[in-house]
Amino acid sequence: MSVDTELTAGKPLPTIHSLDGWALKQLIEAGLTWLRSNQQIVNALNVFPVPDGDTGTNMVLTMQAAFDEIAKSPEQNFGKMAHAVAHGALMGARGNSGVILSQLWRGFARAVDNVDHLDGSGLAKAFAEARDTAYKGVVRPVEGTILTVAKDIAIAAEVALEETQDPRQILEQVVLAADQSVQRTPELLNVLKEAGVVDAGGKGLFFVLEGMLRYLNGQSLDQAIITVSPLSTMVLDRTMESIEPGQDYEIVLDFQPFRDLNITDFYYQLEQMGTSIQVGEGEGLYRLHIHVPTEKRYAPIDYAMSLGTVTKIAIENLIAQMETDERGCSDEEPVLAPVEPGQIAVIAVSPGIGISRVFASLGANGVVEGGQTMNPSTQEILHSFEDLPSEKIIILPNNKNIILTARETAHLTSKKIAVIPSRSVPQGLTAMLRLIPDGDFENVVEEMTASLNEVKTGEITTATRSVEIDGVEALAGQFISLLNGDMVLSTNNLEDACLGLLEKAHADQFELITLFFGANLTRKEADQIADLVRSRYPDQEIEIQEGCQPHYHFILAIE
Amino acid sequence: MEIAIVTDSTADIPDDLTQENQIHVVPNLVIIDGKPYQDGIELSRQEYYELLPFISTPPTTATASVGTYQNLYEKLIGLGAKHILSIHVSSLLSGVINAASTAAQEFGKSVHVFDSRNVTLGLGFQVLAAAEAVRNGASLETVLEVLMDIRSRARVIAMLDTLEYVRRSGRVSWARARLGNLLRLKPFVDVHEGHVLSLGEARTRRKGIERLRELLIRLGSLERLAILHTNAEDDASQFLRDLNPNLLTTPLIVNVTTAIGTHVGPNGLGFAAIVKKENIHETVLK
Repeated sequence: MSVDTELTAGKPLPTIHSLDGWALKQLIEAGLTWLRSNQQIVNALNVFPVPDGDTGTNMVLTMQAAFDEIAKSPEQNFGKMAHAVAHGALMGARGNSGVILSQLWRGFARAVDNVDHLDGSGLAKAFAEARDTAYKGVVRPVEGTILTVAKDIAIAAEVALEETQDPRQILEQVVLAADQSVQRTPELLNVLKEAGVVDAGGKGLFFVLEGMLRYLNGQSLDQAIITVSPLSTMVLDRTMESIEPGQDYEIVLDFQPFRDLNITDFYYQLEQMGTSIQVGEGEGLYRLHIHVPTEKRYAPIDYAMSLGTVTKIAIENLIAQMETDERGCSDEEPVLAPVEPGQIAVIAVSPGIGISRVFASLGANGVVEGGQTMNPSTQEILHSFEDLPSEKIIILPNNKNIILTARETAHLTSKKIAVIPSRSVPQGLTAMLRLIPDGDFENVVEEMTASLNEVKTGEITTATRSVEIDGVEALAGQFISLLNGDMVLSTNNLEDACLGLLEKAHADQFELITLFFGANLTRKEADQIADLVRSRYPDQEIEIQEGCQPHYHFILAIE
Repeated sequence: MEIAIVTDSTADIPDDLTQENQIHVVPNLVIIDGKPYQDGIELSRQEYYELLPFISTPPTTATASVGTYQNLYEKLIGLGAKHILSIHVSSLLSGVINAASTAAQEFGKSVHVFDSRNVTLGLGFQVLAAAEAVRNGASLETVLEVLMDIRSRARVIAMLDTLEYVRRSGRVSWARARLGNLLRLKPFVDVHEGHVLSLGEARTRRKGIERLRELLIRLGSLERLAILHTNAEDDASQFLRDLNPNLLTTPLIVNVTTAIGTHVGPNGLGFAAIVKKENIHETVLK
């Protein structure tokens, strides 16, 4: 960076004339760090109250891959460094927002080809090219998303150029524009308005840019930001993996403080007691979630009582719960079908090992773990087929948030890639049935794609927060049923969620109902539901399969 | 009788047609609990398919002996045949060609064994075409030309009700690999040039039959057609009714012989077709 004066705290900020490769590296790291600090905020901006591919996590992983690519690079040239960033982002892109983010970097890098030092007008040009590339990368651009934000910042940079050539001042205007643009996204996109959230991808981009600006302004990036989420969006993390040794009890309690809480102090006190601390607030009521060791199991309660009126307490012995909760998922590895040179190979993205085994038995040659909660990166998908002795690859993303990532692999390999846009596991399995490994690539792809609508997809999960979508109201923690991706009902018990879903799907007019049960159910529990479905649908064949997918109690194929 | 025509029971030619065309059919053997039965003679197809799922030891099949073929060839030559054309099920699926060829060695150039590279009416139509050519006074060379031409245009495609029997048969390598995790899978098989290829699967019968129809229509105009089934007469008749009536004249509906049914199981549905010459290039599914 070439600056007029030394950058020192307290002094007025110096004018920056240009940025070099080293500066870009610092900016990328700053953007990444700030995005990571705010990752949970972005994750919470989910339109659907389902455990879906978390945008914040996806964008952090994409930025992380971009930074990893340059972390050890001694490059001074801005343009060369930008290309490395773009390459890293492309390889690590996860989820739709991650892919678009990687496209933004690709455009950005393209605009700064052979630029040694980037000045203000170069920066504005790079933002413009980033926007153009991202728009071109999306088949049907939707406004009210990260794309709109990219467009608005490009305009802001252009306008700012009339006043200044200082990249920092331009970035200031860009961050301001990004913030305003994000706030406007619900006006452009109705689903956001209905869900009462702003666009998550746009918000993520805002944090990346704000992180860069904070770095240039000398502000801290990695301060632990204490968040108190709105009570309605609070998701209590109960996955077993998050239990640390010694933290045997889970305490969840609600209390109304006598006076305003000092949040920093409150967190500090809680950190002395245990881990996995989560705090939510709504209309003066606080909900606290914490894991503590046995001897401290009453400490959070005593502490909360000293701060206010405790209205509800739940204590659970996690170890005992873990023992009784033995989940029946077999970890037997899928036996992948071998592929001969010249044959078509199929890669399936699968959310659970049981589903992977079914894909393998139908002839899948590679399986990439991923799905609702963890979107695989472009690179992970690429790895799954790079070494296969086949030049013709079909990818089944089996999730709408992975389709774009899968398509990106086509730019990174000399192999022929076709992505069948399967939006669910049942769609992917249906396409699989049309696979003829020795067939003509184009014909097989066409047949597989055409078959996608031959099956209806049902999904049953629990709402991660309270919401109303398409006239269906769901409270956090309730079971919700989705039919072909649309929420169709919410209920307090799993049986009703299944039967209600099948009724909405007019299952009585179909022949076969296949239930893939998730890792959160035992075989016995799943069998009981299957029996119930059998008695309700005596004319249909009911098949129950171990899916082992997380979060989703059932994935149903109705055909 | 200048040229006599011999085939085996897997040709699935209805009795009236074999008599009318003077075709000599050697029955294959179906072995149930160690006891051999003559395919199509000692076993009623309907009864067999009804029983098949309940027979504890899976039945197996065997070709007629070399001696059986020898005796038949001898008899035909005794009756005045100058040439015998022995046309059989694909050598990649069965040992019939072996047995017939071994028997033929005794008779020098008078017995010609021809590998149909097909099965059921994919073979049967070749045999019928040869018989017609013979009846029209064609020379052996011409009949062989007719056979090779028909063979290249023969397709047998079927939907099996389950993967179980074909897997058990050990005759189809891909079926072994697909130890179907899904209980309900209806595999499509495509017999072409001797091999049984996979054409994917269906999960429900309704969709499977629909797909079968698409596959048939895609073959274009046909010279001959037979609807094949293993005890699924109703489905076969319905399938035929749903076809475009202009497609052809009167196709055969055939309950497939037990020697084949043993390897595909009951409730299979499919067709054998001879594609017309002019659209043969478009009909290759691959």
